[in-house]
Amino acid sequence: MSQKYSLSVSSQFERLAEIADFVADAACACGLNEDQVCDAQMAVDEACTNVIEHAYRGKPDGTIHIVCERRGKEFLVTIQDFGARFDPNKVQPPKTGDPLSKRRIGGLGLFFMRKLMDRVEFDFSSGPGNRLTMAKKIKR
Amino acid sequence: MEPEIRIIAPQGRLDAAGAQPLEVELKQRIAAGETRLIVDFQETRYIGSNGLRVLLAALKQAQEQGGALKLCGLIARLKEIFVMAGFDRVFEIFETREDAEKSFRN
Repeated sequence: MSQKYSLSVSSQFERLAEIADFVADAACACGLNEDQVCDAQMAVDEACTNVIEHAYRGKPDGTIHIVCERRGKEFLVTIQDFGARFDPNKVQPPKTGDPLSKRRIGGLGLFFMRKLMDRVEFDFSSGPGNRLTMAKKIKR
Repeated sequence: MEPEIRIIAPQGRLDAAGAQPLEVELKQRIAAGETRLIVDFQETRYIGSNGLRVLLAALKQAQEQGGALKLCGLIARLKEIFVMAGFDRVFEIFETREDAEKSFRN
């Protein structure tokens, strides 16, 4: 039986540190190594920042629900919000090779999530808001 | 006389919350004409995309005014994040504060 770790927080940037601690504890308990814990922590930080900025547009009274679990050889994180729909296909990836004069400021959050996790999937079929699932293969 | 070099040393986490005071400070410094800036990350454990955006915007502003923004003291994990984002090609990154200061004088 896999254990689930869950946390519900309000949509405020001030809660990001608490989210990071929660993810670190859960990822560690699920068997991720130290580097992988940092990867998962950052991916969730970026995802929740997007939720606060885009889904809730900075409104502090939204809810973010985070569930972490180990499923087989994967660490899974599900992040549910009840804000505006977020279409990841509309976000242009940053051109990380561009010189300063051409670098756009933005698009980095999703870029990091995809870089740090093995799977990043948005699901809009289950009611209001956004449901994001990210997975990382557990290496020891 | 050479203008002063200003050192800013953010502490803890530069997530979306932690990046806000850094953004305010950098903007104020640059607006006041302090455009020779070093951000020392010795006491910074984490930086996310908002923190990176704040640095990028400040670098552009400083350079537009003939100055520079240089970085130092990054722990290994922070360096990895900078490399991933391609920021190692955009910023001058030094091991120590002294190295960064020297580069302004050379």
